[in-house]
Amino acid sequence: MTSHLLWITPLVPFAVGLAMLLVRDRRVQTALDVGGSLAVLGLALAVARAVTDHGAVTALGVFRADALAVVFLLLVGLLAVAVSIATVGWMRREVARGEIRAERVRFYFALVHGFVATMVVTVLADNLGILWIAMEGTTITSALLVGFHGDKHGLEAAWKYIIVTTIGISFGLFGTVLFYGAAVHAQGGVFAGAMNWSSIAAIAHRLDPGIIRIGFIFVMVGYGTKAGLAPVHMWLPDAHSQAPTPVSALLSGALIKCALFGIIRFHAIARDACGPEFSHGLLLVFGLVSIVVATPFIIVQHDLKRLLGYHSVEHVGIIALGLGFGGRLGTYGALLHVVNHGVTKALVFLVAGDAIGRYGTRDMRLMKGFLGVAPIAGTLLLLGAFSLAGTPPFSIFVSELIVIRAGLAGGRFVAVAVFLAMVVVIFAGLIHHVGQLAFGTADGTVERGREPLSPLVALVLLAVVMVLFGVWIPVNPDRVLSAATEIVVG
Amino acid sequence: MSVALAARLIDVLGGLLLFTMLLILAAGQVFRAIYAVAAQAVFLGIAGAVLAAATGNVDLWIIAFITIVAKAIVLPWLLIRVVRRVQISREIEPVIPVHLTLTLAAGIVVLAFHLNASLGPVRQTVTGNALPVGVTLILIGVLVMASRRKALVQMVGLFASENGIFFTAMAISQGMPLIIEIGVILDVVLGALVMGILVLRVRSSVDTDIADLESLKG
Amino acid sequence: METTPAPVVRTIAQAALLVLAAPLVTGYVQKLKARLQCRAGASVWQPYRDLSKLLRKGTVQSDTATPFFRAIPVLVLAATATATAMLPVLWAPAGATVPLGDAILLVGLLALARFLLAVGALDAGGAFGGMGASREMTVGLLVEPALMLTVFSVAVSAGTTDVNLLAARRAPLLLSWTAPDLLALFGMLILALAETGRIPVDNPDTHLELTMLHEGMLLEHSGPGLACIALATHVKQLVTLTLVAALFLPVGLARDASPPAIALALAAFAAKVLALATFLGLVESSYAKLRFFRVPQFLGLGLVCAFLALALRVL
Repeated sequence: MTSHLLWITPLVPFAVGLAMLLVRDRRVQTALDVGGSLAVLGLALAVARAVTDHGAVTALGVFRADALAVVFLLLVGLLAVAVSIATVGWMRREVARGEIRAERVRFYFALVHGFVATMVVTVLADNLGILWIAMEGTTITSALLVGFHGDKHGLEAAWKYIIVTTIGISFGLFGTVLFYGAAVHAQGGVFAGAMNWSSIAAIAHRLDPGIIRIGFIFVMVGYGTKAGLAPVHMWLPDAHSQAPTPVSALLSGALIKCALFGIIRFHAIARDACGPEFSHGLLLVFGLVSIVVATPFIIVQHDLKRLLGYHSVEHVGIIALGLGFGGRLGTYGALLHVVNHGVTKALVFLVAGDAIGRYGTRDMRLMKGFLGVAPIAGTLLLLGAFSLAGTPPFSIFVSELIVIRAGLAGGRFVAVAVFLAMVVVIFAGLIHHVGQLAFGTADGTVERGREPLSPLVALVLLAVVMVLFGVWIPVNPDRVLSAATEIVVG
Repeated sequence: MSVALAARLIDVLGGLLLFTMLLILAAGQVFRAIYAVAAQAVFLGIAGAVLAAATGNVDLWIIAFITIVAKAIVLPWLLIRVVRRVQISREIEPVIPVHLTLTLAAGIVVLAFHLNASLGPVRQTVTGNALPVGVTLILIGVLVMASRRKALVQMVGLFASENGIFFTAMAISQGMPLIIEIGVILDVVLGALVMGILVLRVRSSVDTDIADLESLKG
Repeated sequence: METTPAPVVRTIAQAALLVLAAPLVTGYVQKLKARLQCRAGASVWQPYRDLSKLLRKGTVQSDTATPFFRAIPVLVLAATATATAMLPVLWAPAGATVPLGDAILLVGLLALARFLLAVGALDAGGAFGGMGASREMTVGLLVEPALMLTVFSVAVSAGTTDVNLLAARRAPLLLSWTAPDLLALFGMLILALAETGRIPVDNPDTHLELTMLHEGMLLEHSGPGLACIALATHVKQLVTLTLVAALFLPVGLARDASPPAIALALAAFAAKVLALATFLGLVESSYAKLRFFRVPQFLGLGLVCAFLALALRVL
């Protein structure tokens, strides 16, 4: 029974997406949208329950749900629900303002659900080839979403996005091919499931280190492009800022984490094949470079969503740093950060979308007094910004602290010092920007309507998770995270 | 067909692929680049057929056939249609001078083959010179994408890169599983479609080449 | 057993064959181009008539030219004709012909011929001469190293730079070509277009000042001097084609002096040269001449191919 869940879970959003193409009534669309996302979350929870009870589940020889996959799957499900709830109000506003034509709404929903479906397949894939195909599928669907508004900037961002990530992902495919070749060589011939992660991981210590090293470099560059690691992160600020806000939330919150999921899978193999220092070292370098590169851009940023995009680059760097520090502590911290950042970033993006909708501009210098305009959303924005900057008692503080402790335990003082310095600088910059936005008095052109339920419910939901994980990690998530850490650390 | 003969044929096809890659790099017109990448796909299909005959893997025949249909006929046709619709000037303006890119390409080839020579017995997993040729094609494809300003030439560089990956994938042992290869080709075609859509949409709204848009900065 | 002719006789016979047959090859290419342009075209023997016409004419020389200028046509023809003696046309194995020199000397002789022509053009003091000379030397700068690299890449596999030995050793390897061989062949074909002075590098039919490379250097010569240089140009073209044939298609070369072997070698040689000449003619008819500033780009492709052929051979 549980193995059936594995192929039903991606099928649901895929079917919902197809169904959306035929529906034209707004209310039915909304119901399908929210209902579909809730179904995904429900199925994800069911899979999580099955995995915690029985261990890893496989289906059809190509899918696999273990603790690691469950972490990412739950994140995707949660964000899908939050985004769907927020889209209700957002879409109403967009159509009313003529930004999106009413008859194109169904394409939007179809693409979003297709996007979610491909992400689910990515995290549930055991077969490395299916992982790649799904990853490319996310690129194709999200590229159309990024350029959905059809304006010049959006199309430019979409073009850069699809070109850079497709070539990056091709590097990842080459790395996958090399891993496959090494596995076949080690086993002396093609064997059933030779492309499956579980089979390759089982014989990882027998793989030729030379080819695995080359393959892992290609994988790092390839999937790293999709994850937004510097120096191949250039598409990220453009794409995440030009996309429609709910799509930005999904991109920053979920998609780049799915790419990291791919890297983690390959890292687990490479760690056994050529010793942990190689892959740890690469992750460390990429992570640190991402953090350092993102910082100056955050300081000088004027565009709110672009700021958040660069912030995603920084946080992906933190996750890579945690993985690079390695060990139980570093990996746990990195995985926890995946969840925390996903939730927080989605929250902030959605609030930012609300703010941008009210002010009619993305330039932060022109936006003032958000707290006065929309008290609840403004408060949530402040909370989210403090969380992103790494303040207690929010979740990101906890995961960053764990990563720092892992770094100190591993003796990587230089890396930790650089990291702390950057965090301090970013804290200052972020608070300055958001403070400017939140405080003060807004001028009269701002739309001051009442705060509709639609984004608020989603925002509060995400905020609750954000605060919760900052204070105390409940037993079940902790168990899942620990089990996932075991898989990576081996 | 013996494995040794297959290895030699793959070697020859690898040489042909290298030459077409250099042609793409040195092409002065978009059409020449498109024809070169179509020729690459044909060589790829032939390589698949050779490997299929040598290893007895039936899947490879299907893959070879699909490769020729999808990458030698459909994709170039798509590209040529977009070129005609967009009516861009045919000349390719490189950002970096061509002789510099040619030098870089030569360096990449030497690097790739040197890397191949430094691998141990695991080299036999990949027939002939498919591994270094594959790496070369990928990297030179990226070079083409980085050094050209026209969207369609960037797409050609992308497809050439993917040809390199395919070449290596086909030559590894007995090729990757059929489903994976079909999925990959499908992804490539869909990606090409989306890119074509984006190029045309930009053309219709703003009268420039999409790769020339540079307003998002900082 | 038949006694074989002395190597000297064979060498002279091959050289004479090349020198005498050279204008015929040019005539064939002209005829092919004419046919592709739907014209009848001049007969294939026309170059011979042109040569004999030139021989009967008087010489006019520029005032500023030194006496050395009179010697240049002869020297150019001598250099090119000597180069013919180093190529395997009919006979291949070692000791069959006098070992006058190897491929390096051959390329050096062709370079010497080019240099002498350029010097003569500069000596005459005409503007077209100077321009043609500078352009021709630029092309030579790019072509000669690439030519050497191609020869070396083939020589590495055969272990010698003597073209005769090379051809003999590579003959049995014809069916086992590898990637470096292919790259060397493609590079060589690109370079052959430059060495023979054909489109897209240079237009051999033009006499417009801005489009001349080779022709620019010939403007100041006249009469028998011009005939010598024209013959040298034909011979250089045939030498290039024979070099390509010897390096890459060493089939049908005779080992002794028996009439069937010689006949077979002659037929094989004719077929190879004809095929390559057809290639030249087709390329000339299909493409336009490149702007001079684009020629380095084109030749750079040939250079990279040659370099890679050598690199891949070694790696």
